[in-house]
Amino acid sequence: MNALEVKGLNKSYEKFHLKDVNITLELGYIMGFIGSNGAGKTTTLKSILNMVHVESGDISILGQNFIEHEVELKQNIGYAFGGTDFYTKKKIKNITKIVKRFFENWDDNVYEQYLKKFKLDPDKKVSELSEGMKVKYSLALALSHDAKLLLLDEPTSGLDPVARDGLLELFQELVEDGTRSILFSTHITTDLEKCADYITYINNGRIIDSITKDDFIGKFYLLQGPKDKVKLLESSMIAFKTNAFGFTGLIERNRFKEIEGVEYAAPSLEEIMIYYAMKEDQNAEFTI
Amino acid sequence: MLNLLYKDLRLAINPLFFILPLFTGALMLIPGWLYFIVLLYFCFIMLPNVLGGFKAQNDLMFSIMLPVRKKDIVAARILSFMTYELIYVIIAVVFAAINLRLYNDWPMFFLSPNIAFFGLIFIMFGLVNITLFPIYFKTAYNYGWAAIMANIMGVCFAVGMEILALKVEKFYVFMHLWNPTDIIYHWILLIIGIVFFIITAWIAYLISIKRFEKVDI
Repeated sequence: MNALEVKGLNKSYEKFHLKDVNITLELGYIMGFIGSNGAGKTTTLKSILNMVHVESGDISILGQNFIEHEVELKQNIGYAFGGTDFYTKKKIKNITKIVKRFFENWDDNVYEQYLKKFKLDPDKKVSELSEGMKVKYSLALALSHDAKLLLLDEPTSGLDPVARDGLLELFQELVEDGTRSILFSTHITTDLEKCADYITYINNGRIIDSITKDDFIGKFYLLQGPKDKVKLLESSMIAFKTNAFGFTGLIERNRFKEIEGVEYAAPSLEEIMIYYAMKEDQNAEFTI
Repeated sequence: MLNLLYKDLRLAINPLFFILPLFTGALMLIPGWLYFIVLLYFCFIMLPNVLGGFKAQNDLMFSIMLPVRKKDIVAARILSFMTYELIYVIIAVVFAAINLRLYNDWPMFFLSPNIAFFGLIFIMFGLVNITLFPIYFKTAYNYGWAAIMANIMGVCFAVGMEILALKVEKFYVFMHLWNPTDIIYHWILLIIGIVFFIITAWIAYLISIKRFEKVDI
């Protein structure tokens, strides 16, 4: 069963367009939603949740149309948009008292368990929590009403490496039993290398790809070679940059033919992101 | 929707605003005063502060993430304001009753705080609500213009009624009827006020949900 299915999502702003966004996420998996700042990650997540009006597109969550069953489906979704930045001067126990009234499947025992597990003090105010603890509080709320789909917008940004690693391990733990899925956006590519099963890469409002992490990385080569070879590959490469020692560039594997003197290797997600961002730039080529 | 109303009253609105009407209501004890001001304090103080509180606490994002419909958010917000308006009115009524006992013979230049006066108060709050919410729900976030316009509406109505009482003798006489057999007319005005208060809230709700549905959050 698909936890989330987005088909042909389009949304236009004056200076930004989401174009034909398609995403499918099965239950039991983690999908990393990656893209540079302003690429459209938050707009996509908000569109999925009907927080912004889309021009076209179908959104299904747990097999049901989201627009038609919004209230019902929200019972099964947990989300965190940039941590918890509402009611920051309220104690979390007071916020929880309000939130739990809205959820039919709320389980106080589960909530207490997660408070203990995440070492959350219910008497603390939201503003007294670290960024990591805020995300954990959002997760504790979501898991206490048995959310099947977690939509998290940049949950790891602002966290130190230890907290980030802990959170990513938690994500893996949460999907282990195959009944939950997580879609989380990030621009920190190492997060995805650690825990994502699927990658959806968005650049300038357009989905570049939405496939398994290995397939995504496996689609590209990172090339390195002397400057005089650039001419041979220029038209095939997604983008490249030159420096005093030669050039480096990104190419789709199916467009690459071995050339003497040009080395190739699997790129990192960060490198793929950088070269795609460069492609968008009119002056993709620059000298360092 | 009731949960949202509970959220607005328990979490979003500072408890101080439950106490404030006790102090403003006590101003009813000033003899021969402009008693519209007592209720206008709701518009001057509470209205912008509460809407500012919603904005500062990022309530819109909090509410929209809950399993509720947008129209429930509108209904809860309007009902929470109506609840506070009623609290202001009820407390003012208590002090007004004391006023009428204390200053029965006091010469009244302005309108007396009697039953008919509270009919006008309900009309004033009805006008405030129908001005405030349709403007506010264009964004459900920016409240400055909505609060200013609602205040202007409230003040204009209050000033208009006081001027009417000063200039039109019949209206002044009607508003100061004391004969027990005529009090029925004051009750009629009060009921008209309450009905107006409810109808304007309903219209404000219908306009606001249309506007709020179009808002991108």
